[in-house]
Amino acid sequence: MNKNIINIILVGCFVMLTSGFMLVNTIKPDGDFSYFERRKLLQPPGYSPEKLLNGQFFSDYEKYFLDQFVFRDTFRGLKAFTRLHLLNQKDNNGIYIIDGNINKIEYPLDEKAILNAAEKLNQVYERYLKELNVSYAVIPDKNYFIADKYGYPSMDYDRLLEILQNNVLDMQYIDLFAHLSIDDYYRTDIHWSQEKIIDVADIILAGMANRYPASDFEYTEKELYPFYGALYGQAALSISPDTLFYLTNAMLEKATVYDYETMTESKVYMTELFEGVDPYDIFLSGAKALITIENPEAASDKELILFRDSFGSSIAPLLLGGYSKITMVDLRYISTDLLDNYIDFTKGQDVLFLYSTQILNNSFMLR
Amino acid sequence: MLFSSISFLYYFLPAVLGLYFITPAKYKNLVLLLASLFFYFYGEPLYSILMVFSIISAYLHGLWINSAQTQKLKKAAFISSIFFSTGALLFFKYHIFFVNNFNSIFDTSIVPLNVLLPIGISFYTFQILSYTIDLYRGKVNIQKSLINFATYVSMFPQLIAGPIVRYSTIEESLDKRTHSISDVAWGINRFIIGLAKKVIIANSLGEIGVLFNSADEKSVLFFWVAAIAFTLQIYFDFSGYSDMAIGLGRIFGFRFLENFNYPYIAKSVTEFWRRWHISLGTWFRDYIYIPMGGNRVNLLKWGRNILVVWFLTGFWHGAEWNFVIWGLYFALFLVIEKYFLKNLFAKLPSAIGHFYLLLTVVISFVIFNADGMGEAILNLKGMFGLTGAPFTNAETIYYLKSYAFIFILAAIGATPLLKNISQKLTVYASAEKIFNVIKPAVHVVLLLLVTGYLIDGSFNPFIYFRF
Repeated sequence: MNKNIINIILVGCFVMLTSGFMLVNTIKPDGDFSYFERRKLLQPPGYSPEKLLNGQFFSDYEKYFLDQFVFRDTFRGLKAFTRLHLLNQKDNNGIYIIDGNINKIEYPLDEKAILNAAEKLNQVYERYLKELNVSYAVIPDKNYFIADKYGYPSMDYDRLLEILQNNVLDMQYIDLFAHLSIDDYYRTDIHWSQEKIIDVADIILAGMANRYPASDFEYTEKELYPFYGALYGQAALSISPDTLFYLTNAMLEKATVYDYETMTESKVYMTELFEGVDPYDIFLSGAKALITIENPEAASDKELILFRDSFGSSIAPLLLGGYSKITMVDLRYISTDLLDNYIDFTKGQDVLFLYSTQILNNSFMLR
Repeated sequence: MLFSSISFLYYFLPAVLGLYFITPAKYKNLVLLLASLFFYFYGEPLYSILMVFSIISAYLHGLWINSAQTQKLKKAAFISSIFFSTGALLFFKYHIFFVNNFNSIFDTSIVPLNVLLPIGISFYTFQILSYTIDLYRGKVNIQKSLINFATYVSMFPQLIAGPIVRYSTIEESLDKRTHSISDVAWGINRFIIGLAKKVIIANSLGEIGVLFNSADEKSVLFFWVAAIAFTLQIYFDFSGYSDMAIGLGRIFGFRFLENFNYPYIAKSVTEFWRRWHISLGTWFRDYIYIPMGGNRVNLLKWGRNILVVWFLTGFWHGAEWNFVIWGLYFALFLVIEKYFLKNLFAKLPSAIGHFYLLLTVVISFVIFNADGMGEAILNLKGMFGLTGAPFTNAETIYYLKSYAFIFILAAIGATPLLKNISQKLTVYASAEKIFNVIKPAVHVVLLLLVTGYLIDGSFNPFIYFRF
């Protein structure tokens, strides 16, 4: 082929790509939300002379361009594919995939954060829980089962537990590590799958001396498909989605959930939220500072106070059989100082602190 | 504005190219000037005023030098020009350094002014100086057009991270230049290669530095991995930027000189500096070293010349002692090579020279990359197992495995291997045909890959922006 033609083709391709994308990006309406990244996309930044002169205006525009670029998710996928498959890198933005199971590197162990978590538990205990039956349990993240085997870095879990056990006072530790496996978690999400953790619920209930194990109840398994978990969007690659399962029965259907923040009542399973930003929100409507689950068909009048993160949303329904009421507190969203405004701690409740390793390793978010 | 940014690639560049090529020849410099001023304003809104002031000052001084009737007046104009040009550089880049050192020496507590370093000031100041000095020496003609002169100083392809383009290099092209499809294609080719070097290789290697800095336990091997990664990163970062600048220059009809020539294949420090940041090395050679007498003086004066040039080379890179030490470190090796190693290496296998050079350069960049001499010494101790760290650990092995392919790619890319292979193959007509067909496809793929990296990534600094 004539060299001049090659030059024309090269110049033509470059001009078409750069000016084509400029044109498309200019006329394309801005998106509001990235479903895969689960966040709002940036909108055109506001102008002010001050922002213009200190460079903030153009810097904000740069971020806006990145967020609103046409085929953004496809480009992210292209980069992930290049990194993982062409350049043979082991992770992309800390995300790695083993046999279709998406994991996020959680490393290294932040000993100060674990110590802070222990102190936070002690602080809550000292202030509110001295007369109560208090336990704590830790949920390992998926790396615990898979990272070492495939040569990925993961936090020192033994050290994590050692710090907690040496520093958390007057509470009983319930071990869950030995009762979980990688198969108990969703492939595309960080969370455990409810239908796989009935035995874990039994271990917890037994640990708190509750006489009504979850496995004594009958459940109907219902499924929702497709479930694209939180890690799916971060992986930016084409991976088959999960099926989200939830376990229900007449007792759970009669139970009512009260949200102190919105002062509204709802159901245990909000299946209409499956189409929302985070399908995992079907469990107790997702992240909430303070909710209660009332169980009119409880076998006892015992109550449970559950300090929890998002993992607690899917296991709480399995704990409900032995309790007339579960109060669920997420210390990421409500300050410890405010708790006695809403919770009466003098009713002899069982208390459980149930936190995942990710939250403990980033515990400075607990208030 | 970064070349490796969405705003540059998909807004600024196509808009400027379109405008430039539809504009009649006599207004092309004006388009280039306005685009360059916007380009600088985008990254440094306030300091644009400083750059414009520097340009006008140098332009007026040029007219003064040219019109001075006596040698005395000419000299006064020249000194005044140097004073204003270097004054701005000394104040904005070095005053904090001077104040802090003054405080340390005289136990005072003078508070330095809170001024940030204007991007690219070292580059455009040196370009201005090259014009002024060459004009004073009569090596270039006066540029009477303010637009042409401002276009030379502020031309966005080389404005903020070089190469340092001398006025004499593009003197003729500023007034009259031609454009051709082959030049534009060559420029695009060079630009995309530079872009890929920067975004895919340099940025990936840069991640290792971030991981290294945040690591709890740094093994001896990790110290070496980080040091080698930075050595490769800075080459791909800076030579990638130079490729982009040279490519963009060619698109607009300018031919900038090469700034890198595979420096890591050198067998001595002397050779390395003939291949690394050539525009800076030759600038110091022609405007400082040779005017001081170069090596055609007695031994004592030669030693002084070497010290001055390498002190300034180090100091040009940053107002910290580690940069000065970095420059003097090379001076030391240049002296040792001249008197001892040159003859020795001539008798030894070339692999030994390569190894010596690479080791010397890797260590130099540990000093260069450190946040002060304290950190440099700590990292050097770590590399030689003097911090009590284990030789390796799981974290090091993980990152080594994860970045192994990038390291191999970078090591190959730092040599002329691929260039030599393609040149040999193009002897065969069939191979050349294949190259011609796949070349546009490769460039499209590289551009799309870079776009993916930019959209997904947040790690994208240019190392040489801080100089």
